[in-house]
Amino acid sequence: MPLDKLVCGFLETTVNKLQQLDSSALQRRKQLNGTIIGVALKEINKPLYFVISTQQIDILSEYEGQADCFIRLNISALKELQNNHQLTHLIKTEQLEVEGDIQIVQRFARLLTEMDIDWEEHLSVIIGDILAHKLYYEFKQCRKNASLQIKKIEKQSGEYITEELKIAPGPLEVVYFCEQVNDIKKQVDALEKRLQQGFASSNKLTRNIR
Amino acid sequence: MSNQSENTTHFGFKTVQEDTKADLVADVFHSVAAKYDVMNDVLSMGVHRVWKRFTIDCSGIRKGQKVLDLAGGTGDLTAKFSRIVGQTGQVTLADINDSMLKVGRSKLRDLGIVGNVSYVQANAEELPFPDNHFDLITIAFGLRNVTDKDKALASMYRVLKPGGRLLVLEFSKPLYKPLSKFYDFYSFNVLPKLGKLIANDSESYQYLAESIRMHPCQETLKEMMNSANFEGSEYFNLSGGIVALHRGYKY
Repeated sequence: MPLDKLVCGFLETTVNKLQQLDSSALQRRKQLNGTIIGVALKEINKPLYFVISTQQIDILSEYEGQADCFIRLNISALKELQNNHQLTHLIKTEQLEVEGDIQIVQRFARLLTEMDIDWEEHLSVIIGDILAHKLYYEFKQCRKNASLQIKKIEKQSGEYITEELKIAPGPLEVVYFCEQVNDIKKQVDALEKRLQQGFASSNKLTRNIR
Repeated sequence: MSNQSENTTHFGFKTVQEDTKADLVADVFHSVAAKYDVMNDVLSMGVHRVWKRFTIDCSGIRKGQKVLDLAGGTGDLTAKFSRIVGQTGQVTLADINDSMLKVGRSKLRDLGIVGNVSYVQANAEELPFPDNHFDLITIAFGLRNVTDKDKALASMYRVLKPGGRLLVLEFSKPLYKPLSKFYDFYSFNVLPKLGKLIANDSESYQYLAESIRMHPCQETLKEMMNSANFEGSEYFNLSGGIVALHRGYKY
């Protein structure tokens, strides 16, 4: 019980610290002033309520009233919330369920994901311009390299599994297999139809004989 | 002689005349008001934020409701409630001590919390509000300092709407022996020293430790709430019973 309060507390502090660093966040919070949004991850099934006001975002682990909008989503969908065009796609694929105004969801997603924080600027106040620039540059390089490496690893391990170990089929094999399944299905359907026709005619015959 | 003992009450471990306790308590809070928030964070090592968060989760507060934050001090709970009830709701921050009320008011205004918060200097025993007025009353770390607790509870019951609830967050009796030992050591040896160091006032924090010991335990307070007509009274022990949250309903 106290653990989720602690988690809520940390989450709230983090979100608000980030919001403070972003000068345009206030404008976006104003649009949502006074709305209460419930968010639940399907995997955890523990809703959190975001109370948005011009001052800050409050996160509650319990709210007995009716939230203005309730969202249920998969963890995997969290990443894609960033892209507002993806919302309808997420709803269609049932990764995201919304009760209430979809516009609020869009604004809320924008509020949390489009944080435009100038880290270099904030850092320079503490450690000076030159060091801040250097550090930030290195960080950007690292991130670039890391994402390249991750892509490479993904590709290599995929190939290793399908080509070397042969524990999973390659994409063409899957397509071929699916086609075969479809062929068999068609054949079975045809056979079923013919059998039914046969039964029908044999029934007619026996009636005629009588 | 017997007449005198009837009119006395406790102020920490001291016994004082009933009509002087309010003034003595007032002196304590005049003295600590300026450093109140810092001291809370230091003395409780930040845990008071979790206790207050728990209180808010138990409040069942909704948009548009009326809240009374009694003995609200510097307005931690008021700030949260004000944002949750929104512009259609109303939060009243009441404290008997005008120093605390001033600190609370300037802090909340600096945070930009205006419009749905009002400030009232009031005695919890005689609340200056109409009957059946509030959806929720909270009193966090305040009941301990009230002279006549039964009278205060009755007064709260009066101003609470039917269906409303009362939340009392207050220090209580630790559940476990070793914790209790450590807690005693901490509150009588460390706490006044910290008070001296930070707020330059060890007596106030000595009083804090003593008044906690004189406060009724979990079950007693629950009984007191029941006898003030509250229904469905229950309590939750927090941090091993160092603090307890009592909740009662008026139906």
